[in-house]
Amino acid sequence: MIYLHGIKKAFGNHEVLKGINLTIEKGKVVTILGPSGSGKTTLLRCINFLEKPDEGIVQVGDVKVEAAKANKKEILSLRKQSAMVFQHYNLFAHKTVLGNVMEGLIVAKKMNKEEARERSEQVLEKVGLLDKLNYFPSQLSGGQQQRVGIARALALNPEVILFDEPTSALDPELVGEVLAVIKDIADEGITMLIVTHEMNFARDVSDQVLFMDGGLIIEKGSPYEIFTKPKEERTRKFLKRISGETSVSWLQETAH
Amino acid sequence: MVIDIPFIWTALKEIIKALPLTLMLTVIPLIVGFFIGLVVALIRVYEVKGLSAVADGYVSFLRGTPIIMHIMLIYFGLPMLLQAAAPKLAISSIPVSVFVLTALSLSAGAYLSEVIRSGIISIPKGQAEAAYSVGMSTFQMMVRIILPQALSQSIPNFTNIFIGFLHTTSIAFIVSEKELTGAAKIVASNNLKFLEAYIAAGIIYWVVTILVESISLLLEKKATSYARGGVR
Repeated sequence: MIYLHGIKKAFGNHEVLKGINLTIEKGKVVTILGPSGSGKTTLLRCINFLEKPDEGIVQVGDVKVEAAKANKKEILSLRKQSAMVFQHYNLFAHKTVLGNVMEGLIVAKKMNKEEARERSEQVLEKVGLLDKLNYFPSQLSGGQQQRVGIARALALNPEVILFDEPTSALDPELVGEVLAVIKDIADEGITMLIVTHEMNFARDVSDQVLFMDGGLIIEKGSPYEIFTKPKEERTRKFLKRISGETSVSWLQETAH
Repeated sequence: MVIDIPFIWTALKEIIKALPLTLMLTVIPLIVGFFIGLVVALIRVYEVKGLSAVADGYVSFLRGTPIIMHIMLIYFGLPMLLQAAAPKLAISSIPVSVFVLTALSLSAGAYLSEVIRSGIISIPKGQAEAAYSVGMSTFQMMVRIILPQALSQSIPNFTNIFIGFLHTTSIAFIVSEKELTGAAKIVASNNLKFLEAYIAAGIIYWVVTILVESISLLLEKKATSYARGGVR
């Protein structure tokens, strides 16, 4: 589970997060929506300290870190609780598909090679890339690279997987294959926190949807609540702007 | 005056005996310099408090002055320092090559630190973030992810420095080292055939350079195959 309390983060004079409180239970899939610049990605990056919060408490699993006095050791053990899937994949360029997935297991988890290999092949099978084990990232399509990114995160068996706009850099025809993989692992009961602009996907996959704007969580609720009867004016405006059609088709679907 | 072409061959056979010394004066400073350069580059990349200013000054001074000056400063300055530090040391028994090697290593360290630093900062930030996200420490991230990529991509620049230093060793003859250029000078003045002797030395430098370039090309191809889509 994830527990965040009073998370604040500023870049220079610009306050990006203005005090975020959030609890996510084990096994839940939570998506974060919001206009660009609302602090979604920064919030996600604060959870594994790729961005160090100025204030607040971050807890993932059993590891609790107070941002103001976090030391290197605490940050390292906090990071070992989570895994991240990046917008631009960030696969290790000099490692093969198999090497990418094994790297964290061998180096960070101190697993022996045989075991790491077995585990890696297992997750790569899950994302449908067992035939690409010895390919380098430069030889793969964006969709395949992102599936490797997901396998790399999944292999670590973390408390939570953080998805930072996993389909935003993909060609439209490749978005589907990646979303299908994410949906598959969501069904397995792994805790996930997803920043996305794919409204249909958010609606299908989430247990809870958060709407962020201006560095605060404005509203949270089930997908049904957020997409069909948002309470806040800002949520309504955002949804109208970005996915007017989404909620209409949702209503039509449920009507049938 | 006519050019004595057969003498070029005679001179070449004599001068090439100095090649091992030239290679030693090239390779040892570059190896020592690589480790100095690695440390200096990391200090500058991470802006380590206190050390960063020293590293900046080191690189600035050694790249800002000619290498011949470093040899002079070490050759004349180091004995004085040693004398002050350890009066009982028999300084005259230290071979000249030690001073030359020291000077060249310090210069190589400065130049190589910039090659390594530019290699490190050319690797996208996402690589480090991904390493952190799977739970690596900063040291593991550097050794396993960043340096392998940074160093492979720097091979052409390392080759440049290697060739530069191969030719720079020729200035060691001013402190009476008998490397290729020194040997050519001796052959030339003993036989009064200057042009022939220097042509012979030039040929040796050129052939060694061509060899180094082709080895570098092979290494580069192998080390960066990951970026060009060659299946392993």
